[in-house]
Amino acid sequence: MKRFFLPLVVILAAVTLARAAEQDEPQGSVVRVRASIQPYDQFRPWQKKAPYGLNGTGVVLPGGRVLVTAALVANRTEVGLEKPGSAEKCPAQVEAIDYEANLALLRPSRPEFLAGFRGLALGPALRAGDDAEVWQLEKNGELLRSHAEILTVGVGRYPNDEAGFLQYGVRVSLPKRDDSYTLPLIRQNQLVGMVMMYDRDSQEGAAIPGPMIDRFLQDAGDGKYEGFPTLGVSWSPLRDPLLREEVSAPKTGGILVTRVNPRGTAGRAGLVEGDILLAVDGMKLDEDGNYRDPLYGPTAIGNLVRVRPKVGSRARFLVSRMGKEIELEGTYDRRARDEVAVPTLAFDSPPRYVVLGGLVFQELTGAYLQEWGDKWSERAPQRLVEYFVFQQEKRPDPEKKVVFLSQVLPAPINLGYQQYTGLVLEKLNGKEIRSLEELAREFDGASDRELLLEFRDDPGKLVLDTAETRVKQEEIQRSYGLPALRKL
Amino acid sequence: MKGLFFLVLSACLAGCGAGRQLHEAKKNTVMVEVTSQVWDYRLPWNPGTVSSGRGAGFILPGKKILTNAHVISGARNITVQREADPRRYSAKVKYVAHDCDLAMLEVEDPDFFRGTSHLELGGIPELESVVSVYGFPIGGDRLSVTRGVVSRIDYNAYTHSGRESHLAIQIDAAINPGNSGGPVMQDDKVVGVAFQGFRGDVAQNVGYMIPTPVIRRFLRDVQDGKYDHYVDIAIRWMPLENPAMRRHLGRSEDRRGVVVTDVFTEGSSDGHLQKGDVLLSIDGHPIESDGSVRLEGKPVQLEEIVERKFAGDEVVLEVWRQGRMETVRIPLRPADMFSLYEFLYEPPPRYVVYGGLVFQPLTANLMAVLSGSADLRLKQKYSMFALDQVYRETPEPVILSAVLPDSSNVYLRGLAGQIVREINGRRIRTLADVEPALDLPVDRTVVRFEGEGRPAVLKKTDVEAGMPRIMAQYRIHERSRTELGDRRLAKGEHPAPGKSE
Repeated sequence: MKRFFLPLVVILAAVTLARAAEQDEPQGSVVRVRASIQPYDQFRPWQKKAPYGLNGTGVVLPGGRVLVTAALVANRTEVGLEKPGSAEKCPAQVEAIDYEANLALLRPSRPEFLAGFRGLALGPALRAGDDAEVWQLEKNGELLRSHAEILTVGVGRYPNDEAGFLQYGVRVSLPKRDDSYTLPLIRQNQLVGMVMMYDRDSQEGAAIPGPMIDRFLQDAGDGKYEGFPTLGVSWSPLRDPLLREEVSAPKTGGILVTRVNPRGTAGRAGLVEGDILLAVDGMKLDEDGNYRDPLYGPTAIGNLVRVRPKVGSRARFLVSRMGKEIELEGTYDRRARDEVAVPTLAFDSPPRYVVLGGLVFQELTGAYLQEWGDKWSERAPQRLVEYFVFQQEKRPDPEKKVVFLSQVLPAPINLGYQQYTGLVLEKLNGKEIRSLEELAREFDGASDRELLLEFRDDPGKLVLDTAETRVKQEEIQRSYGLPALRKL
Repeated sequence: MKGLFFLVLSACLAGCGAGRQLHEAKKNTVMVEVTSQVWDYRLPWNPGTVSSGRGAGFILPGKKILTNAHVISGARNITVQREADPRRYSAKVKYVAHDCDLAMLEVEDPDFFRGTSHLELGGIPELESVVSVYGFPIGGDRLSVTRGVVSRIDYNAYTHSGRESHLAIQIDAAINPGNSGGPVMQDDKVVGVAFQGFRGDVAQNVGYMIPTPVIRRFLRDVQDGKYDHYVDIAIRWMPLENPAMRRHLGRSEDRRGVVVTDVFTEGSSDGHLQKGDVLLSIDGHPIESDGSVRLEGKPVQLEEIVERKFAGDEVVLEVWRQGRMETVRIPLRPADMFSLYEFLYEPPPRYVVYGGLVFQPLTANLMAVLSGSADLRLKQKYSMFALDQVYRETPEPVILSAVLPDSSNVYLRGLAGQIVREINGRRIRTLADVEPALDLPVDRTVVRFEGEGRPAVLKKTDVEAGMPRIMAQYRIHERSRTELGDRRLAKGEHPAPGKSE
């Protein structure tokens, strides 16, 4: 059947083949996932935005778990599973979630809910040119299978990850069924990937490859989710022969390390700026930073250092430094990503804030800046953009968070201060403020007559009366209906 | 700012009932036709695109013709014509003030003035009073008159300069492209020069004119034979409305004054004022806690006192400093640190081409053409230039604005849009540093940029061999243009002519 079926698809090119599931009983392997989403309002950190629903197609895995993209369940208030073709529902919990890799594992709160489903096994890695299917669910529960072609296999950007992971570029004509593109990619009744992005105009999408899923499941399976490691370097290709000469690079291969995060895997192993990185874990790098992957052929270093190794495993680097080759060793970790002054991601956790005399202080995150929209780098206060984008230079100490005055809730006590926004706080009564906790503590313990707030930028200083501020706190809370004056 | 357009293609007539006003306006309003050339900061060696436009002007005592700077900026040929005379006369720019969008023209042929008299300048019209606008707007070639009332008198951005704000009067008369430079009249006198408005899709019946205090200032400034820039006190201050802040500064008993929060290094107040100073009066005018002073009975921002002064004038401030009263005299000068944000019009763009690498100083014009391709670091440097006093370290950041593809630079094409930090080990602080650094005797020229990232490396022999080829290929006549144009005056002058939006 299958052999006959596939050539036909090629002839029909991009026409969707939607067929009711028949003999192969595959519909016992997917469930509809409905998530209620309610993101936090970064501009009004004490509240959430209007809720909305998302649905997608989850894959039932052996062991009674369901796999979806992390994007489907980010900022969820609740998640439910629904059997295709019946109204039977079951709430689910998120067992493991990785926003960078865009994967999440759900567990039904009633394990028997998935009884009778057949968990899909993971299939082998695909190569460009391979065929597969994308599965969707019709409203009536029938399975809709669309032929997909793998166009590319390469490292690319994921929705919540700057550095890039391996992904499949797929061409597939998908009818619109759900409002989220979280759809399994299947080949021979095995799970080979998860579609996470799709463009209806070009009919091209991106899928998370099976090996990424495998790696995620292994990590999640041991009860302690650690995530994908990161190298913590910036680098430049070394194709240019004149640049090679200038940096005394060997004849071929290698990339130029242009910045090293001292907290990262590479920094701890002893790599420094100016090193020429020739090989990692015995895999040689070419001048563009590609290694030869046994499966995919030339592949970007990102896959080599983020997906192949696990956090805690040994990292080996071969570098050329001042014309001499040296070997360095370290341990893969992800501190360069996690231990930062300004975190990028802030899903599922409420924004932290402290209100003090109507002055609202927050800690800077990527999520706050994103709230300014697509042009956030132009529209958000420029000082905040600077601290986020250049934080390795501006705030190398991850313990020193960027505490800033985000807005002023007008009240008589803050008359004359109400125009200020986006000001980075440096000190309170002479004491350096490194976090919102420190700000709250200094305020609570302040014994001076006044609160002297010192900022990085104009106007430099703002002053409040300590006793009056304490007295008015409750009044401000009440008049603006704030559930709390601080969230730490 | 959004949606403001210029009214080139202009001229206005009014008919405020009075036949005499119409008669005078007809005699003394002139059509200004201009062919201009706009420098292309993408290809700075090119002479630029030629375009033509129409505006208005009017005759003041002494056969001076006043119009907008944006009407004549970049002019290569100007003709003026009156309603009563079919001849077109050649005109020249005598003075141009891009910061307040005014220019003065002169016509050599005395025939032009036959049958003309001149218009007189009036004062600031009252709110809701009727004014007439004369010009040559879109819709025909003869003089046009529209009428409206004065809607608002306030500070407003003068979009031509890209940065300046001065007093402007909003009127609801229909004014359109072609009205620029035309007189706005009331009671037989000129009360303003029409200069900008909103596009119809943004706001209707909102036009702006330059009021007479700004015109008078311009006329007085050029009396010495040249136009100087507006001066600036170059501080930042905050209102002193908060009782806790007043007490902190020892000013509880008084309701006056504002507090200085920043003093720009190298600005007028550098060395005269300090952060934390409380400014109580300026030239004898008491300063309210919101920063306003009363001038001719009307409340205006304290900067208005400075606005009316000239380079070299002094302003006298009564200052409360650390518990004591002091009198501070500040000699005023233009705020050079902000000139980066002003569009440049007349001076040709400066650049250095080396092996296909194009170096240009950071300017508002360059940022406008780079926009999308400028990296975040460059945008940051630009927006923080004055605030972070970048100018102290780097008075004129140099940008690798483009890489012209050539066989000698095939690996360098992705590097454009970055700030040059050093060339051959020499720190680059202005464009003038570039050529001497490139001339250093090295085999390989190394250009390093700010931030992380690779340097650009070029082989000197390749560059020398490639330059004639690159110059021929891209039609570059000169390898560099580094001299400051004679119209961009060294200190205190910031010419900036303009094209509109």
